[in-house]
Amino acid sequence: MLVLTRKLGESIAIDDHIKIVVVQIKGKQVRLGIKAPKETKIHREEVYQAIQDQNKEASSASPASLDSLSKDLNDK
Amino acid sequence: MQISTSRFGLIEINETDIIKFNDGILGFENEDKFCIVDPNDQTLIVWLQSVKTPELAFPMIEPQIFKADYQANLLPADLASVQLENQAQAYTYNILTIPADISEMSANLKAPIVVNPNTSLGKQIVLQDNKLEVKFPMYKELKAAILSFKQSDDSVRTSYRPAKATEKADAQTQVRMITLSRPDAV
Repeated sequence: MLVLTRKLGESIAIDDHIKIVVVQIKGKQVRLGIKAPKETKIHREEVYQAIQDQNKEASSASPASLDSLSKDLNDK
Repeated sequence: MQISTSRFGLIEINETDIIKFNDGILGFENEDKFCIVDPNDQTLIVWLQSVKTPELAFPMIEPQIFKADYQANLLPADLASVQLENQAQAYTYNILTIPADISEMSANLKAPIVVNPNTSLGKQIVLQDNKLEVKFPMYKELKAAILSFKQSDDSVRTSYRPAKATEKADAQTQVRMITLSRPDAV
């Protein structure tokens, strides 16, 4: 991994079109500004983690998990 | 060909029914071949079944069933990743999480499964819209939708889902949904 030191207001350029600016430093928090073409996807890492966790949980279901749904429907 | 599955037993599929996920599914990066199985129960839920791992399948559903205004806004790069020319050609599904208490069932709106039925390519696409939830509760809406489907007959139900694609292309090039015979008909 490439590690760079930046001060407040300084930035990093990635390729020709992506720019990351250190907008604010407050204690343990850093605010970053990201300038990128519209088609570039930018997500907090936690989003991917949440989706992975959700996928794992989803894959543990079986059609039998839906029995109570069927029951619920047939009661109507 | 036959594939074995832990949920549905041995099922017969055609090579053309296999959907290729070149990037896998998030958290399951080594799984790149799936098919869509409709257990033909009354729930409107279908399963994204791994071709190589019998135990691996994800329950999923078309978002229009429980959220009429859902719109997966795909970027040009997203469309290109499954060789789609436009969004209207895509099959879109949301993966469902089904906990022990089924009333807490939720759908992943943030990262839908997008399938191009003409090229048999699929991808779980993480949408940029930050308002979309990974766990969107939808049990009540699903129940209401199923009940309204039940009042209509089965032919209406089956034409509802594949209609988008089957209408416009010849069946040979289309991914087919594997519809199992009704368990209650045995």
